Parts: sequence; structure tokens; C-alpha cells
Amino acid sequence: MRLIPRALTRSPRVGRLAIQFGMAFAIAMLAVGMIGFSAADAWVLSRIDASLRYHTAKYLQPVDGHGADDAAVAAKILDWQRRKVLSERTYVLFGRDGARIAGRLDIGPLPPGFSDVRFLGGGRNYQEGRALATRLPSGSLLVIVQHSEAAASLHALLPGVVLAISLVALVMGVSATFLFARLTANRLAETQSTADAIAAGDLSRRIPTDRLDGMFAVQANSLNRMIDRMEELVRAQRLFSSNLAHDLRTPLTRLRGMLARGVADGDPALSGTFERAERECASIIAIFDALLRLAEIETGRHPSAMGTLSLRPLIEDVADTMDPVIADRGGTLEVGRLDDVAITGDSDLINQLLINLLENIATHTPVGTRARLSLERDADGAVITIRDDGPGLAAGDLARVTRPFERGASTTRGSGLGLAIAQAIVRFHRGRLDLADAAPGLEVRVRIPANDSPGPIVDAGAAA
Amino acid sequence: MRFLIVEDDPVIAEHIVAGLGLHGHETTLAQTGSEAILMLDRRPHDAIVLDRLLPDINGLSVIDHVRRQGNAVPVLMLSALGSVKDRIEGLEVGADDYLAKPFDMDELAARLSAIARRNVSRPEGSRLQVGRLELDPSSHRARYRDASAALNRKQYSLLAHLMRNTDRLVTRSMLLESVWAYSFSPTTNIVESNMSRLRTALLALGCDPIETQRGAGYILRSDRCA
Repeated sequence: MRLIPRALTRSPRVGRLAIQFGMAFAIAMLAVGMIGFSAADAWVLSRIDASLRYHTAKYLQPVDGHGADDAAVAAKILDWQRRKVLSERTYVLFGRDGARIAGRLDIGPLPPGFSDVRFLGGGRNYQEGRALATRLPSGSLLVIVQHSEAAASLHALLPGVVLAISLVALVMGVSATFLFARLTANRLAETQSTADAIAAGDLSRRIPTDRLDGMFAVQANSLNRMIDRMEELVRAQRLFSSNLAHDLRTPLTRLRGMLARGVADGDPALSGTFERAERECASIIAIFDALLRLAEIETGRHPSAMGTLSLRPLIEDVADTMDPVIADRGGTLEVGRLDDVAITGDSDLINQLLINLLENIATHTPVGTRARLSLERDADGAVITIRDDGPGLAAGDLARVTRPFERGASTTRGSGLGLAIAQAIVRFHRGRLDLADAAPGLEVRVRIPANDSPGPIVDAGAAA
Repeated sequence: MRFLIVEDDPVIAEHIVAGLGLHGHETTLAQTGSEAILMLDRRPHDAIVLDRLLPDINGLSVIDHVRRQGNAVPVLMLSALGSVKDRIEGLEVGADDYLAKPFDMDELAARLSAIARRNVSRPEGSRLQVGRLELDPSSHRARYRDASAALNRKQYSLLAHLMRNTDRLVTRSMLLESVWAYSFSPTTNIVESNMSRLRTALLALGCDPIETQRGAGYILRSDRCA
């Protein structure tokens, strides 16, 4: 089961999701804006074309049953020029040879039909317009050009409008996503705190569903069912261990009684065998106890007294305890720098962690090995370092030895659970345990997050 | 002393009865919880050895029943359930000590003697003195006649515990529980090595009243502190 980082429980990170969602919204709005603009543009264009057709028809209207001839059209143009000073339309009549017959616009003859033209309007600026060229029966060409201010300003507006729509959409999309994420996070907060409690081993917790609705309630219910099932499995496992403990301990107790009686009133020649058998019996129990303890810590069933724990007095106490043990085996234990660091921890488990690690040195290194224990405080918390100058471990063994029943290549003593238990204890405290080659020797580094909140400091030192 | 043994397994029960007999104690045997309650009504006992899992009622219910009747007889709970949680449960219900199976006979006898005499034990925190050997809690120094020696925290706690239980056998696991408060079993000789440092310090004072009982534990003899 993975622990949820603390930072996540306080403010769920929605940043990237909000940006993605906002971008999608902006792109959608951009598309809508462009479609809307194209539709408006097409409509204006169709109005202009209709107007051009209407005016062409008006100019080419038959007079007295005859088709309009060049002279009549030219006269109309001249008449128009006299009457209109300002207009969005301009009329030009080209002769068969392409020469301008009437009209003032400075353009050449155009192919018959609609086309877009550029012309010099007002003498200086080029303007764009829509033209309809119509061939007269005489072979002359009537061109009507319409310059639409409306169409031009619509085109000029295009980039600004589209940009504005996109920006507004982006802001709205991001805000909507943040709002949605906030609402979602509020509903998920209880799920998260329940998951944290379960990760810490409290399987009795359930997600409260009374304030949830819709898919959140459905999800919470299915998670609760999952936790029910997990709790059932853990209970079954616990019952199994308890039954195993009982079923194994009872015959071992009988065996031990029989062996003791054998030592007391048996053949003196056999009493050595009885004593050895009794010791084997004791080591079976020791391995068995260690296994149960490992299972308890790993499944969070260890009855733990978690509190603010000041590490320095605890380490001094462990050093006092282990110094004579290591000295009796021909080694030395040195205490290096000890910073003041407090963690949230269980003093019994932290004691076992340090005792296990130092016992490893006492048991698995040759006479004369020097060990050094130190406690430092870094940005993340407490760093406990235990280093020895013994033969160390082969590179391949470094990763292997923290798994249950794995030992260094050179040793056969011990239950093979010491480092696995140490690893489980460190994980239980949300920390990490690293083994490294100290060249020569082994360096064990334990990192546990600091607890800087003010609170009662549990002195794990002398119990008596 | 007279102890009531409540154990349903005949082999284990016989082992306990015989073992305590060798230590000079009298015993009464009950095989069920209800039988135990009957026997307690019939005559007084110095302590009870109570198996936790009995055929009729749970050992925890037996303690509950006994305590509700106002009987303060010391109880040592003996159980095949050996986890820290089981132990805490037993002590919370009112057991005075908890021993997991399989156990060592000397361990059981020492623990029974300790709880049976608990009411005469010296209160903690008082100035500790046995004969002319004195322990000063403020300076963590041991004094004998005119000499004195500084002790580290572990040596001080070890000597204090032995002085509070003068002339009684104190086993290694009892010391691990009371001096170190460890709920786990170390694999090295933590008690022996620390005890040997304490005895070296006491020898330098000219008085080593601690006697090692091979394989069992330690006794601080008051007559050696004169």
C-alpha cells in the first residue's frame, strides 16, 4: 500500500488540468468565433452580390424594347456621376477593344462574372471591392464595383474579436476547472483522510457518505466495500496467526517441559543433548516471535504509542546499552554528532530498530570492528547513521538483505529477520533505510521525517 | 507459598505443578475457569497462574469476575498468544504479569514470587539503601562506606531495580521489561554485558552483592552489603 504524500492531503494540485481544460475551452470558443464570423462574412458578401446584380440589371434595362446599347449605358453612367458625389458603387464601361468608354475608376477590363478587385480609391489608398462584369450584346463590358465599408470593417475586426473570445474562454475555462477541482477536492477530502488512516493501519475507518452525492457517494460506497473486504482478510490473517501461535506454542511448551524433565532426572550422558535440544526449541520460538512481530508491524497491527519523540536521548540510551555488548565482542562503539531532532514515532519500535542494527554489527563483524552512531538533522528530517569498518557486504547483497530470511553471503547466524524488521519499522515511520558500502565496512542510513510541531516530548530514555 | 494453577492442558499443568513444587511451593490445579472460581472461594492463594484460553470461559473473564468480587489476588496470565497487543490486553484487564508460552520454569517461578510479594516491594523514587550500599537518584552515584562511583543511566536503573527486589531472583526478561521497557527480545546478551559493567563498578567500591543464578537471572543479596 502506497502512502499518500502529506503535501497532497492539504491542497490537491489541479494546475495542469486547469490549464489543459482552459485551453480546450479556448480552442472551442475560437472555432465557434470563426464559424460565426465566416457566416456573417458570407451573408454580407451575398448581399453585395445581390446588389451588384440588381444594379447591373437596372443599367442594362431594355429601352423601348431594344437592348441597352453602349451609348445609353454610358449616358446613365455620366448621369450617375453628375448626381452622386459619394457612393459605395462605381460604374465603368469598357468598349470592345478594352478602352474605357465611361466611368472614372482606374481599373482594367475584368473577366465576365463576379471578382474581387483592388483599386485606387480617393486618389491615394488602395481599396478592395467586389466587381460584377457583364458583357453587352455590342461586345462592350459593364463593370460595377462595390466597395463595402461593412465588409472591410468586419475583416478588420476579425483578429481582435477572435483573440478576445479566446482569452475570455481561457479565463473562464481555467476558473471553471479550479472551481470544479475545489468542489471535487472538498468531496474527496474525507476519502483522502480515511485512506491515510488506512495506510497507517487503522482498518476500522470508513468514508462518511452522508454529505456526498452522485458519483462521489457511489465511489465512497465502493471504496468502503473494498475496505470491509480488506479488514475481513486482515482479520482472517490475524486469526490464522493467532491460531498458528496457539497451535505451535502449546506443543512447544510441552516439548520444553519434557526436555527440562530430561535434563533434571535423565542420564547425565544425555543431559547435554537435552540442553542443546532446549536451546533449539528456544530459537524456533525466537524466529517465530520475530515473524509475528514483522507481520504485526507490516500490517500496522502493532499497538503503537505514536507521539512526539526526541531522538537524541533515545540514541544516547541505546548507545549506553549497546556499548558493553559490542565491547564484550571485541569491538568499539563510538557516538558521533547528535543533533536535536524530534520525530513522530513509537519509542519501542525505534529502540528495536537501533538495537537490531547495532546487534547486526556485534554479531556479524569480526573482532576489533569499530562502529560509529550519529544523528543529524537535515532539511527533510532526522538522519541516523550507523557505520562500521568491518568487511561490509557484497554489492549484490546490499539490496537483498532487508528482505525476510535473506542474509549476507558470509553469515548463517540469526533468524534472517533482523533487517527486514528494521525495514518494516522505518517504513512504518514513513522513512527510508539505505545500505551503502562505506569502503571499508557498511553504512546504514535511516531517514525519518521530522516532527516540528510543538507538543509534549516523550522522553524515551530510562524507563526505570 | 500457595498458587492456584488454571491450565487445561494436562502435560503443561503437570510441568508447572512439578516445577513449582521443586521451588518449594504448594499448588492447587483447576482445569476450567469455573473450577478456578470455585477453588478461589474455598481457600486463599498467594497468586494465580491463569491460562488465557480455557475450555469454558476465557481467562480474561476469570480475572474480571475475580476482581469484581473484590479479590486482589495477584494474577500471572500464561498464554499462547504472545503479541504485544495480547499482552497489553491481559494487563489492562487486571493481570499483574503476562508470560507467553513456551516459558521457562525458573522464569515463571521468579515472576510469581515477584507479584506475590509486590505489596511488600519498596515504593519507587524513594532513596534506595540496602545495608551500607546506597544509591543517589540525583547524582546517579552508588555509595558504599566512604567510596562512591558514578553509574551511567542503564547501570543506575539496573542496580535500582535489583535493590527494590533485594534477595529475590530477577530474570533477564524481567530486567528487559522493567529497565529497558523493550517488548522485543534482543539477540545479544544486553543484560549480561550491562550487568557485568555494573558489577565491575561495584567491585571497585569494595562491594558486589549481585549473585548470578546460571541460566536464570540475578539476586542482590542484602547480607553482602553490610
